[in-house]
Amino acid sequence: MNQAKLVKVVRTVVLAVLSLLIIVPLIILFVSSLKGTRQEILADAGSFKAFLVPDPTLQNFVDILGPKALTPFLQYMLNSGIVLTGTVVLTLLVSTMAAFVLHTGRFRGRKLLLGAITALYIIPGETIMLPMLYECLGLGITDSYWVQILPFVASPLFIFLFFQFFAQVPSSIGEAAHIDGAGPWRIFRTIYLPLNGPALATVAILQGMGMWNQYLWPLLSTNTDSYRPITVAIASFFGSDTILWNLAMAGSVLMMLPVLGFFLAFQRFFIASVSSSAVKG
Amino acid sequence: MKSNRISGVEAVMLTPALVLLVLFLIVPFAMSIGLAFTNQPLLPGPIPTKVVWLKNFERIFTSPEFWRALLNVVLFAVMVIPLQCGFALFSAILLNGQKKGKRFFQAFFFLPYITPMVVVCVVWSTLYQYPTGLLNSVFAVLSFGLFQPVEWLQNPLTALPAITMLSAWQAYGFQMVIYMAGLQNVSPDLYEAAAIDGASGWKRFTKVTWPSLFETNVFILIITTIQALQLFTQVNILTQGGPQDATNTLVHYIYRSGFVIQNVGFASAGSLVLFVLIVSVYGVMAFFTRKNPTGEAS
Repeated sequence: MNQAKLVKVVRTVVLAVLSLLIIVPLIILFVSSLKGTRQEILADAGSFKAFLVPDPTLQNFVDILGPKALTPFLQYMLNSGIVLTGTVVLTLLVSTMAAFVLHTGRFRGRKLLLGAITALYIIPGETIMLPMLYECLGLGITDSYWVQILPFVASPLFIFLFFQFFAQVPSSIGEAAHIDGAGPWRIFRTIYLPLNGPALATVAILQGMGMWNQYLWPLLSTNTDSYRPITVAIASFFGSDTILWNLAMAGSVLMMLPVLGFFLAFQRFFIASVSSSAVKG
Repeated sequence: MKSNRISGVEAVMLTPALVLLVLFLIVPFAMSIGLAFTNQPLLPGPIPTKVVWLKNFERIFTSPEFWRALLNVVLFAVMVIPLQCGFALFSAILLNGQKKGKRFFQAFFFLPYITPMVVVCVVWSTLYQYPTGLLNSVFAVLSFGLFQPVEWLQNPLTALPAITMLSAWQAYGFQMVIYMAGLQNVSPDLYEAAAIDGASGWKRFTKVTWPSLFETNVFILIITTIQALQLFTQVNILTQGGPQDATNTLVHYIYRSGFVIQNVGFASAGSLVLFVLIVSVYGVMAFFTRKNPTGEAS
């Protein structure tokens, strides 16, 4: 059994070393964000100095968040937060309601409707962006929060996911409530929603991550500081000839921190969200 | 008893989803089909909109830029799939065998996947700096100084591989989780039988693990290919498709024609071409998984 023990030790060591190697870019990110100037970040980038910061300073964060910032970064963060919150809340509400009716309803054409909605999943977002922009220009809703929220609220994937989760709720519970005189809304609110907490968390994370990372659509559909998201702000530090490394690093840390916090708190659901997004191809 | 009719409450609950699906999925898709045959500009201009029939498609299929973008996407897929999926499978196998601290290590391995692509671009572009980025330094040290520093993102030969590396780093966590689930489904009996036969670790992998992962592999191959077809963010931020179109991609090509050149008609035609490509990839998946449908999965 000595060999088995050796395998165990080797595997643990390999895992530990790989874990550290993998997060090297993230270590560099956090360390660099504490360096004073963009010249220092660049000069240190090629050696072990990239991992060291002799005199850490929060100046970059003060610069980027302060009133004198070139890009009103705080505003951009707030925009992303508003769009994310709005989309997640509406997505959960709209898709659970639809999935519930599709699951418990007994009306004709229900199966056909479910099939049609699921089939829509094959249309990739990237291929309808430009026509959608043209449509939104026509509707006059560009450069707003709504234009960033509404297109993502009803997603065939999420409706289908909730449908699958709801299918696991024993139908006898709903039927008993129905006999007791409870209407669909009550059955939905008091039985189906509370029983599917993990499903709600999974979809919230999937959608939240997607929204926090939105780049192409806001780039097309918004054009003022008042509505543009954090991704566009960070990308803008790359726009000119001199890359503003210090601000880009600080901005990236600010974008990363909430994600990291949520991940540490809900690791299980993050992993589950990957598996469930893969349920469908 | 109107049991086969939809009730009022049910209709109210279903309507928001249907309205939004129509407005932001069906209508834009239908519009892209219609607009693809016109020269519609994004904003109303002096030139009246005309039906141009297949002119847009003709322009696409005769444009070297399109073929270069398609080639780039294929090259990207060819490089990223073995890199990303290979490392994902390797980490999945390592993690799967680990008992102590599995969740702890998994968290580390999963961190790149939760890192926003914009952030990945910021950090990796410092790694790619010329001549003193970390990557150039590491290669120089590993080759005892033989390696000449490369302008990773500015050299047409290395720009796409550079985009590939950072993309693989960011995204492999997805495939890793799928592989971990796939490995859970490999029957332990098979491993036991292999152990009794005295099969080595490598033999166990090639004879038991790999064949058992067939469906997982097909799924991962398809998903990764589709993700490659949709490559955009990192290219837009880091290279804008350059140098000399070496990192131009299909979505970037559509973005440029539709948004920068303000031609929705042309961009719609490009979008349809992309749509057909993506649907064909799904078609291949349906073909390969038709005998063994994994539940509702495919």
